[in-house]
Amino acid sequence: MGLLSISDISKSFPGVKAVDKVSLAFRPGEIHALMGENGAGKSTLMKIMTGIYQADSGTMFYDGREYAPSSYRESLAAGIDIVHQEIQVVPQASVAENIMLDKLGTFSRQGRINWKQLNRAAGEYMEAVGLKVAPTQSVISLSAGQKQLLQIARALSARAAVILLDEPTSSLSGHEADNLFLLLANLKRSNTTLIYVSHKLDEVYQVSDLISVMRDGKLIGTRFTEELPRSELIRMMIGREAGEQRIGQTRAHPNRVLLQTENLTKKNKCKHASFELREGEILGFYGLVGSGRTELARVLIGESRADSGTIRVNGKKAVIRRISDALFRYRLGYVTENRKEEGLFLDETVLTNLTLLIWRKIRHPWSFYIPKNAEAKTGAEIASALSVKMRNLRTPVSTLSGGNQQKISIGRWLLNDCNILIVDEPTVGVDVGAKEQIHRLIWQLAAEKRKGIILISSDMAEIIRLSTRLLIFRNQEIIGEVKDLEEQSYESVRDRIGDLLSKRNGDQLS
Amino acid sequence: MAKQIIRNAFKPVMTGRAVGLLIATILLSLLTASVSHTFLSSYTVFVLSRQMAFSILLALAQAVCLVVGGMNMSVGAIGSMATVIMGICFQDFGLNPWLTVPLVLLFGLAAGLLNGLIITKLRINSFIVTLSTMFVFMGLRSGISGGSPYTIPDDFGFIGQESLFNVSWVFVLVILILAGAAYVFSSTVFGRQLLATGGNESAARLCGIATDQMILWAHGISGILAGLAAVLWASMIGSAAPETGDTWLIGSFAVAIIGGTGLNGGSISIPGIFLGGAIFILIQNGLIDIKANPYFANSFLGGLILLAIVLDRVREIVSSKRNPGEELNRAPVLEDANRPPGTFAAPVEGTHRAREIPKGN
Repeated sequence: MGLLSISDISKSFPGVKAVDKVSLAFRPGEIHALMGENGAGKSTLMKIMTGIYQADSGTMFYDGREYAPSSYRESLAAGIDIVHQEIQVVPQASVAENIMLDKLGTFSRQGRINWKQLNRAAGEYMEAVGLKVAPTQSVISLSAGQKQLLQIARALSARAAVILLDEPTSSLSGHEADNLFLLLANLKRSNTTLIYVSHKLDEVYQVSDLISVMRDGKLIGTRFTEELPRSELIRMMIGREAGEQRIGQTRAHPNRVLLQTENLTKKNKCKHASFELREGEILGFYGLVGSGRTELARVLIGESRADSGTIRVNGKKAVIRRISDALFRYRLGYVTENRKEEGLFLDETVLTNLTLLIWRKIRHPWSFYIPKNAEAKTGAEIASALSVKMRNLRTPVSTLSGGNQQKISIGRWLLNDCNILIVDEPTVGVDVGAKEQIHRLIWQLAAEKRKGIILISSDMAEIIRLSTRLLIFRNQEIIGEVKDLEEQSYESVRDRIGDLLSKRNGDQLS
Repeated sequence: MAKQIIRNAFKPVMTGRAVGLLIATILLSLLTASVSHTFLSSYTVFVLSRQMAFSILLALAQAVCLVVGGMNMSVGAIGSMATVIMGICFQDFGLNPWLTVPLVLLFGLAAGLLNGLIITKLRINSFIVTLSTMFVFMGLRSGISGGSPYTIPDDFGFIGQESLFNVSWVFVLVILILAGAAYVFSSTVFGRQLLATGGNESAARLCGIATDQMILWAHGISGILAGLAAVLWASMIGSAAPETGDTWLIGSFAVAIIGGTGLNGGSISIPGIFLGGAIFILIQNGLIDIKANPYFANSFLGGLILLAIVLDRVREIVSSKRNPGEELNRAPVLEDANRPPGTFAAPVEGTHRAREIPKGN
């Protein structure tokens, strides 16, 4: 057991510097929390430390020796293991088998597994983590918390002296989480190095000794937990330098309310959401990961029906039963945050991706023919209006850059004349130049085309730069509002958000 | 500039793949013609055109399911059951063809919709659903028919046995259907929404497409086509034989796949299916010409499918090496790095995506 230190670790993916010259030291017997906004680079860093990714540059030392794992197996062999937030077990196999999955060979002679011996060995680790079930029980009947304990037992059985925990409580109940914290304290006493990634402030303050904050791939700082006030932590996480200047004024129409909700509630998605969106306004939804911004958006577009509450579009009560209602009846569009997974048809052409929504409108009334020329003309117009860089309209979108792909996924809704557009994390994974273009596009839609835009973003600089008004989300609720962004300095808005978010609620943040 | 963009906006009819298939077809024809003296005789042309028509029709029945990202293992079984229903209508009830044929097609539709309903309502993989219904229908047809063929009216043989300038009427009909399919998939909202559903189901749903209905109708159409194949088959052989359809399944896959129908959904090539049908029949015919042992026939068909899939995959790998842009897009998706899994597409009600492991029993 020794010190794990990393120095100047960098890792780039096309277009993004995910980890930028990060140096850190993790000592035995310490619980070191790693915090940061979505996309700050924590996960990439953890993957580098466990050999899942390889760093582009920088070195790591463990226990006095250079440590450069080229695979997860090598990291395991060195005694460094990761417990993923997603629970990775073989549900049909027994608890003991799951713990010893990679060591079944050591319990077998001539291919026959000595179950007694295996169960006994697994039992020791189960005891160590406080997993009180029979080793022979099948995993399928365990609770999420028990499965999480099982994963830690597995890490212990691999003789891991360094355990990285990636949001281990995300699927645990409060009681289960408390048990986990007890276990972590025990592990700490036995000199295990624990690296803890979480978005939940209360939890991090409860368990950690040190907190390191990452932002935009860089290490912002490492502090002792007890010396770091919450508001300061929030500031470290979100408070980047003021971004670019605002593009220009957006003038929200004083009375023309495009979209209004009252007490919109849907279990596990939104609680009593009441807000209004005016013509020409960019309404920012800000909050940490899982705070309910996207969830609310998806209730609005009719992906699932609200349990209670009302939605009004242009002052009239809207009945949104399915997505096509929102789209074609109320002209409410949603640009997803997962461009590749659920936004674009990657193998399809630029043209198809753009014109998909207007086929019905331009088709011939009885032959159902979609006129090719009209389609291509409309597509070409919007593509050049958005200055999409492509070879031609027949190019598959999979070959375009992230920024151009994003323009196409926005352009689709513009062609459909959406009056209300919800744009979810529009600039994730796009380069700086395209980011600026997308910002201008969003601004133009509100300021010049007089649309109502809901902007969901975890990028503080982006959301402050663009929004007319901000709603702050926490625990599926709107907990506050910041008005008149155009008349305030970046810093004052940032501090206001920080105050709202760090307000203790007895409850977990995020 | 704008004009050029518009001109270039649509895929040319002959893609690189179709040209390759065309060359293969021509080579195979030349080869066959040089080996067999009867290849260009009017009778051979008639028989081969008819065989080709069946393989195209069945490939289309398969492809329409492949397009939405599924498959239909029960094409043959639906055809078989349809044949038995047809036999009963003719022999036991003495119905005329004008009543019988629509009934049979209706059965095909119903059987396909049944597949589609189970797949979409219960979120079960189309493979396992259609595999099960395949056995259900095969068992029913054996049980009901007892295995012996039904007699059908003599004049029912017209379409299956007569020809237009030496080309089977079945071929003419199937070409019309194929042309219709080309129109639907290239130029109608329905066809393009089918393709979109198969291309990316979640994206299609967010675009307001009723993806479940698309999948449902794809299977319905597949069923109708299988029913139609049963009608034409009976017309060809002059009786309603219950074992009709037993050999259809592997051929439907082979032709659709050789023809370039994507196995992951979202793509179809009508010229490809046509040429795939031609190649398939030429190879089968060639095997007879060289007196290959018919007991090995299945190995050939299976090998052919495997070859088509392997060639496709190789082509994909080669083109992704030539086009680094694609590789770039497959790099790890950073933006999702910190998002809890499963929430990355905030739980959509009823997706095909794997769910969390169920808690408790």
